[in-house]
Amino acid sequence: MPDLLWFVLRRLFATVLVMLALSLAVYLIFYALPADPARLACGKPCTPDRLEQARHFMQLDQSVIQQYLAFLKGIFAGRTFGEGAAAVQCNAPCFGYSFPLARPVTTLIVDRLPVTLSIAIGAAVLWLLLGVTLGVGAALKRGKLFDRLAVGFALIGIATPSFLLGLLAILVFGFWLNMVPVNGYVPLTESPVDWAWHLITPWLVLATIQAAAYIRLTRAQMLEEMNLDHITTARAKGAGERRVVAVHGLRGVLVPIVTIFGLDLGALLGGAILTEKVFSMQGLGELLISAVGQLDVAVVVGVTLFSAFLVILANLVVDVVHGVLDPRVGHA
Amino acid sequence: MSTDELLHLKDVKKYFGLRGAPWRKAGAVKAVDGVNFVVRRGETVGLVGESGSGKSTLARVATRLLDPTAGTVEIGGQDVTRVRGRKLRPVRRKIQMVFQDPQASLNPRQSVGTILTTPFRAQGIRPTRAQLVELLRQVGLSEEHLERYPHEFSGGQRQRIGIARALAVKPDLLVCDEPVSALDVSVQAQVLNLLADLRDDLGLSYVLVAHDLAVVRQVANRLAVMYLGTIVEEGPAAEVYSAPAHPYTRALLSAVPVPEPGAKRDRIVLTGDVPTPIDPPSGCPFRTRCYKAEDVCATVRPVLEPVAGGEHRVACYFPESPADLSSPPLSERTP
Amino acid sequence: MPDQTANNQGATHYNGSPRPVLEVADLHVTFKTEGGLVPAVSGIDFSVAPGKTLAIVGESGSGKSVSSAAVMGLLPPNAEVTGEVLLDGRELIGLSSEELRRIRGNDIALVFQDALSALNPYYSVGWQVAEAYRLHHDVSKKEALKRAVRMLDLVGIPSAEQRAKAYPHEFSGGMRQRVVIAMALVNDPKVLIADEPTTALDVTVQAQIMRLLEDVQAEFGTALVLISHDLGVVAEVADDVLVMYAGRAAERGSVKDLFHRAAHPYSLGLLGAMPRVDLPPRPRLATIPGSPPSPGSITTGCPFQPRCAYAHLVGERCITERPELTPRPGEGYHEAACHLGRRPEVML
Repeated sequence: MPDLLWFVLRRLFATVLVMLALSLAVYLIFYALPADPARLACGKPCTPDRLEQARHFMQLDQSVIQQYLAFLKGIFAGRTFGEGAAAVQCNAPCFGYSFPLARPVTTLIVDRLPVTLSIAIGAAVLWLLLGVTLGVGAALKRGKLFDRLAVGFALIGIATPSFLLGLLAILVFGFWLNMVPVNGYVPLTESPVDWAWHLITPWLVLATIQAAAYIRLTRAQMLEEMNLDHITTARAKGAGERRVVAVHGLRGVLVPIVTIFGLDLGALLGGAILTEKVFSMQGLGELLISAVGQLDVAVVVGVTLFSAFLVILANLVVDVVHGVLDPRVGHA
Repeated sequence: MSTDELLHLKDVKKYFGLRGAPWRKAGAVKAVDGVNFVVRRGETVGLVGESGSGKSTLARVATRLLDPTAGTVEIGGQDVTRVRGRKLRPVRRKIQMVFQDPQASLNPRQSVGTILTTPFRAQGIRPTRAQLVELLRQVGLSEEHLERYPHEFSGGQRQRIGIARALAVKPDLLVCDEPVSALDVSVQAQVLNLLADLRDDLGLSYVLVAHDLAVVRQVANRLAVMYLGTIVEEGPAAEVYSAPAHPYTRALLSAVPVPEPGAKRDRIVLTGDVPTPIDPPSGCPFRTRCYKAEDVCATVRPVLEPVAGGEHRVACYFPESPADLSSPPLSERTP
Repeated sequence: MPDQTANNQGATHYNGSPRPVLEVADLHVTFKTEGGLVPAVSGIDFSVAPGKTLAIVGESGSGKSVSSAAVMGLLPPNAEVTGEVLLDGRELIGLSSEELRRIRGNDIALVFQDALSALNPYYSVGWQVAEAYRLHHDVSKKEALKRAVRMLDLVGIPSAEQRAKAYPHEFSGGMRQRVVIAMALVNDPKVLIADEPTTALDVTVQAQIMRLLEDVQAEFGTALVLISHDLGVVAEVADDVLVMYAGRAAERGSVKDLFHRAAHPYSLGLLGAMPRVDLPPRPRLATIPGSPPSPGSITTGCPFQPRCAYAHLVGERCITERPELTPRPGEGYHEAACHLGRRPEVML
């Protein structure tokens, strides 16, 4: 296990380097854009004097490198924009300050995170259950009706864009049948039932889309696994078919499923942009999209870095879990 | 050096780097660890050993499919150790390889005609149909097979195609890596006879890499026995088979079952397995399983030295003498 | 081993051996495929007595491995099995899957060729051996593991208690095969079917494993069905031999009958084609022309006829009429399925 600790530490160190490179890249990209955030902030009419003031206040009059270094410093020490009574304080860890929203980026992310977490985790549990169950069933009933239905379902899930499915779901269940709320988010702490009730449609929509890939993956892995010699061994030992599937077959399917699941979940935690938009949920994805529209560089950099961090973290977790699940990993 | 030396490996080593999980430290597999090996014109040299002995790696180094970690490879009297890419083509005309699994070594999307044309093309030659048919005839196939694809053939026929492809450039030396181990017994005999016929008709020389000592005995006139990346015994096949000098060779030969019910055999059942080539034993690589091992065996690796002054050489501090062979070893150990 | 003498209804058995523990009669296996019915085994009989070894010899496509899987009830659902498989006098064909499950691994156990793929890579070897025990005994996991460790020790795995915690990939090929054998023996089965148990092993390790199997037989009186293409191994360990060709029995008899008085041209061909390590090389090996037929490709006459060097001595009959097993001189029950009544001249 000390080996494993070293591995994790090394990877965390690498993560820091990647994050640094990424943040610099994002800064450079937005600096290269022709638009000027200060002009947006200055409003209309905007005198050159006021524009210059705004620039100075937002620290856009500095070189990109200076801005970047100030950003890095802010993470550890916090930042102050402007002086005197008009000064805006951004406490450490400061990942920038959104002038259009007049809030520190850190606060924005922390505020929006529960929404995205709720959507992503609920959907993930659903699609994992749905995908693995249908995938295993399809593999065991290969060529039979169940298999065809499951594979057909997977095909539809893969072919349908999530916003289309989302809009359809809102139309049918929300408006026509009037069964579920069509938008909005209720915090879990406020009312767990309302929380789930408002989320059920986005969960189902996301789960349907994502489960498709899991059905196909599970089915293919399971078919392969059930053809291996050690499955025959299990039968020859006298294991019943149910035990053969559950103890010997599924065990081998677990590793690739967990790998993909970790990466998918990591990516989704950075914001399910389309789903959040369709269901008018104020999550991280929605935050990012509106920030891009308003040239709110601070928020774009903050959310992008946060998403990237989640993906890298998911990779690390998957690697570690892989080593735990598969005894062969780590040997020549 | 006479040009009779088709292949000369001098102190060849081949190590493979190990890549484990990212959090484990890497090591090296010493697949071939200091081998000198000569093949002269007209010889069929059997290269035998168990899995992990390095025999297949040695064959790939000899045919320049792998770069040696150290040492030199001379083919036809020319040092080709550093020759690469296009410049290897003239070398490939002298030495060709036949692989174990004909299924895997023939491109399933190419007809036999295309497969056989490729080696000519590599030499910048456009072969005539007659040349291709002649190749097929040499290996016991006929013109009608030219347009067919590998999957239409049986395992034995596929191996014949693999041999025909190797013969296309008229090499002096054929290195065959387990050429019959994937074949059924009845088909295996056909291919072994074919190899013998080609030797007689075309004056070919062979290196025959195999784990099956009976197969090698049938065709080889010289034998080299490998263990953990080194040659522990070599010499005229008849001599090594009838009077093995290395305890390992003796144990190996005694372990081969013989199709003779009730045959009384002094079997030496070795204990344990071949040690890992990542961390081979000090001194003699075989000492950990040897029934004759003494303290000296752990010190310095024994070198090949002549047995009774002949061409028969053995790397052992306590080689078997013919007198030993009549009685079972004193310290025979069983698991 | 339960005493079977009370059940012995005077049937005559080979060599005056005790009553066979496994008797297979007229076994047919047909696979239903998209291309139609493919016969893999077309009526074979064999039996093996406690403590004895029967070797089934054949090349690829001979049906030898399908036969053993059929006996174990391990064939895929598209296989149709008919005939008789009697274990201790009890018919196995037609049993429910639950009844079969109780027999598999308990009364009949299987040892595979490739121990690495036969073991589950995700579980420790101790767990896997213990599982085989728990499937047939109502014991705690702890007790089962104890039993597993005892078995691993018995088959010669050093420091079995620690090694039981290791995973299959952490063992050498020979040690893995020992694990597989321990797993097969953990319930003290009456019959052990070993399908090419040493083919994937080096010859020095093969010698160890064959010796282990012999020791086990001597100690537990297990009947062994050895499926092999290696005539050397067969000559060493078998009491009786069944030679299969294209899903049928070509010849059967005692091991001496087969190696000294082979009556079928195919058996002779196999013996002649085998290079020998103990004899100086022959100028040429005897060969059988062509290659083994694919299952179901030969429907009339003798399946070996297209490759047979003696068919011309018999003529038309080999093409039109299928030869049945008929008695040959030997140790009592030597039989061969060949129209050439006499023993063929050896053409080496």
